[in-house]
Amino acid sequence: MFDEKLTAHLAELSKLEFNNEELEKMTEDMTAIVGLMDKVRGFETDEKPYTVEPVSYGELREDNYKASYPTDNILKNAANIKNDSFVVPKVV
Amino acid sequence: MKISGIRKRLDSREIGAVELTKEYLDRIDRYDGKINSYITVCRDEAVAMAERAQKLIDSGNASALTGIPLSVKDNICTNGIKTTCASRMLKDFVPVYDAYAVEKLKNEGFVMLGKTNMDEFAMGGSSQTSYFGGVKNPYNTECVPGGSSGGAAASVAAGMCAAALGSDTGGSVRQPSAFCGVTGLKPTYGAVSRWGLIAFASSFDQIGVCALSAEDAGYVFDAICGRDENDATSSARAKGGSTELIGKDISNITVGIPREFIEDASDEVKEAVQKAAEFYRQTGCNVKECSLPSLEYAVSAYYLISSAEAASNLSRFDGIKYGHRSGLGEDYNALIKSSRSEGFGTEVKRRIMLGNYALCSGYYDAYYNKARRIRAQIRNEYRAIFDSCDVILTPTAPTPAYRIGAQEDDPVKMYLADVCTVTANIAGLPSVSTVCGYSGGLPVGMSITGRPFDEKTILAVCDRFERDFERKECCL
Amino acid sequence: MRYQPVIGLEIHCELLTGSKVFCSCRNEFGGGANTRVCPRCSGMPGTLPLLNRNAVRLAAKAGFATNCTVNKYSAFDRKNYFYPDLPKAYQITQFESPICTDGYIDVIGGKRIRINRIHIEEDAGKLVHDDYEGISMADYNRCGVPLIEIVTEPDFRSAEEVQDFVQKIAQSLRYAGVCDGRMEQGSLRVDVNISIMPYGSEEFGTRAEIKNLNSVKSIGRAIEYEISRQSEILDKGGRVVQETRRYNENHDDTKAMRSKEEAHDYRYFPEPDIPPVLFSDDEIEQIRNEMPEMPAERYRRYTEEYGLSGEDARLMTAQKEFSDFYDSAAASAPEYRLISNLMLGEISHLINETGTDISNVKFTPEAVAKTAKMTASGTISKGSAKEIIDILFEEGGDPEKIAGERGFIMSNDASEMEAVIDKVLSDNAELVEQYRSGSEKLFGYIMGLVMRACGKGANPAIIKQKLSEKL
Repeated sequence: MFDEKLTAHLAELSKLEFNNEELEKMTEDMTAIVGLMDKVRGFETDEKPYTVEPVSYGELREDNYKASYPTDNILKNAANIKNDSFVVPKVV
Repeated sequence: MKISGIRKRLDSREIGAVELTKEYLDRIDRYDGKINSYITVCRDEAVAMAERAQKLIDSGNASALTGIPLSVKDNICTNGIKTTCASRMLKDFVPVYDAYAVEKLKNEGFVMLGKTNMDEFAMGGSSQTSYFGGVKNPYNTECVPGGSSGGAAASVAAGMCAAALGSDTGGSVRQPSAFCGVTGLKPTYGAVSRWGLIAFASSFDQIGVCALSAEDAGYVFDAICGRDENDATSSARAKGGSTELIGKDISNITVGIPREFIEDASDEVKEAVQKAAEFYRQTGCNVKECSLPSLEYAVSAYYLISSAEAASNLSRFDGIKYGHRSGLGEDYNALIKSSRSEGFGTEVKRRIMLGNYALCSGYYDAYYNKARRIRAQIRNEYRAIFDSCDVILTPTAPTPAYRIGAQEDDPVKMYLADVCTVTANIAGLPSVSTVCGYSGGLPVGMSITGRPFDEKTILAVCDRFERDFERKECCL
Repeated sequence: MRYQPVIGLEIHCELLTGSKVFCSCRNEFGGGANTRVCPRCSGMPGTLPLLNRNAVRLAAKAGFATNCTVNKYSAFDRKNYFYPDLPKAYQITQFESPICTDGYIDVIGGKRIRINRIHIEEDAGKLVHDDYEGISMADYNRCGVPLIEIVTEPDFRSAEEVQDFVQKIAQSLRYAGVCDGRMEQGSLRVDVNISIMPYGSEEFGTRAEIKNLNSVKSIGRAIEYEISRQSEILDKGGRVVQETRRYNENHDDTKAMRSKEEAHDYRYFPEPDIPPVLFSDDEIEQIRNEMPEMPAERYRRYTEEYGLSGEDARLMTAQKEFSDFYDSAAASAPEYRLISNLMLGEISHLINETGTDISNVKFTPEAVAKTAKMTASGTISKGSAKEIIDILFEEGGDPEKIAGERGFIMSNDASEMEAVIDKVLSDNAELVEQYRSGSEKLFGYIMGLVMRACGKGANPAIIKQKLSEKL
């Protein structure tokens, strides 16, 4: 059931690209991995899906603002900057 | 040398903090070419930190870790010092803030020797997927050190630091500690703030410690634990004092041996763990069999949830704000695809693909949600065990360290090898691994797991064994 | 053929918090690019979100303002997608367990529009496009600005219902202090989901989503355009495509936005970095007690208890501060209609003329109440009341003192007035003659002459009576 079409679909969701050879290998790996994951399908339980313990409203962060970071610090690891902004190819 | 010993030497002025730091740096220079446990060695910073530590010592203001040289895993952010996650993606990334754990250690006046090597983004159990080359096991350089905190464990084992900060998402502190013959503590989920730990799987990730003993692990843990307002999942229940039961009588302790863990272990592991059980029985502990019936589903459930979270956590790496930016790509979509495809290694890509598979429309209930149900089930089974047991004793890994290249290319084999460690992460429990034997010159590890926020009991039980067990040093 | 439109709304509202929803950067509009950004809201590795309590409080208030159930348990989820204005590549939102559910607002014609849910989420950043260089530049100042999204059921059947709803929502949220409701600034953003079906049909058609609507007027126009566009397609036997369209104000039309290469799969899952939030009964009650009276309730009070006309009550409740001012004045003197007339008349006129607002005027609600009271008791005339308001507006002060010092107190001394009347009539014998020979409309003119001669303190009712007698 795991085929290259599904791998390509997941690659698109993942924003990864594979050449034909890589796609074939990834499909093979994913087939084996999903085979292992399929173990969970045989598990019968009435348990509700686990969720983290809630915190009470009163414990949430108080609404106080603080100074932001210097813009240079925010931008310092970026490869392409202009006008103090992060540059990407034009999106419509 | 253990932290208590170093503390004595520093406090008695037998050695200065700078001199001590230089000894460790020399050792790194001499041996790390063979082991590759460090990605970045912070020579100048370490000496500067040692100078500051010496001032604290001289003014009588030293605390437990003042002047103690430690290493920090390279997925823990350090202000102004490269933090790479052993990935091409972040090979030049310099954080603008310190992780909470690092900040706490700095407040104690520790010395940071450097940033340790690991599996890329902490995904793996061999430390061979690093962009900066694999780590070697100090007991046998043809073997893996385990992972993902392989650099951390190896740096401790090889005497290239006194102790190390690692991270443990599914066994990544305990398993390499077992492979490298040291002690590895994974604290309770929420005991140590995750602020500054570059996320792999947020609901499992926990900063932990590799050390030469349970007691040393406790010292470091006490310094870094506690509620941090920057992490909403950190808990006020972790208050330190984790070494206070060490040296006390443990004969009132009930040690559970869940039978499912032993079944799949190799003979040498099975034998060593059974010997340890016998040791506790003779010490006067109540040792009894117990059961975690859903263990067989644990690995799959763990991989589904952790990969789902990882797929989302790693989406931010697109080369735009930080990280590797490809020279290819005409439009936005193409640019981020090539940046990510060039920046991530194969195993990271597999996890992202698996995570998106588990979450994507049509598969969500069958995989992701089912895994969450199993998680709830396993937590219940643990609760039942801890109604009648104080700790449980299990192997840390089904086998000792294996030869480099033996199974890293077989993801299914690699994933299955996590069976002994993942349930502590699934249930958020504290767990410590220590050496309980040797096989073919390689250490064998066992784990002691306890109730949430009961680090002090597992460390005391672990320490009791360590006192009567003679460790073999590695020869470099 | 004429079709029945079926419309539902998704409304995003910026919350009036001091800091952002998941970090402590200041929540405000404008500023230099990336100046209100920290490691958290720019999605740096290793950072974690910290939920702002006030954002949760305001979202709960939005729920109370719209007759929703405010849920004791609510939780956050991640909505995963890649876009350069979204630095983490996921938006933190509430998917499975939103904070508010099942509300409603009544619109024109007494129709009830059901609200499916209100959830909390974070805003994305802003992209500035440079066509010349073919680049887009990302500014994260807006990242993490707290939003609520209000989702209605597809209960609307006309543009008018939608427009009324949007105005009422904006008004209610302003009343509750949740959002300033300024569509033109983008602090309240409306997306319209619209489909059409033949009248009498029960099966909804395929819907289009219209974005970029920044006024109530453009909502109306976009809906009308969309109805005719979709009708034309169906008339020709075509099929409406499910897509997102952008309204263009200048062309007054909607255009399909660039279609995504594939359908979105947002892969929602529980946000592991934020524990779910639990309200105690007390906490929910406390927030409910903070709620001011809502405009609908005020409207009812003004019309039923204060005797205002529907139109006056509508005008009076339009802006909360204005209505609050009225309530304070009404509390110190029960001259509801007189006060209302002064506020909707002279005061509104002066405010509009000078471009100020009610919170910046120089006089107190009590001063207006006193003015109304003097009018009611016959101490001053209605005309004088207006003049006193003018003086209060210019200078402030106490209306009683002003009335006394500047001669606004009405005189009721009939003999004094009669003398003035006699003088005016004798001075204008010709006019009186004309009036008596049938030009009755001259009465007003003569009345004016007498009034002027008597001065502002004279009681017009008495003058009118005496003048009639003498003529």
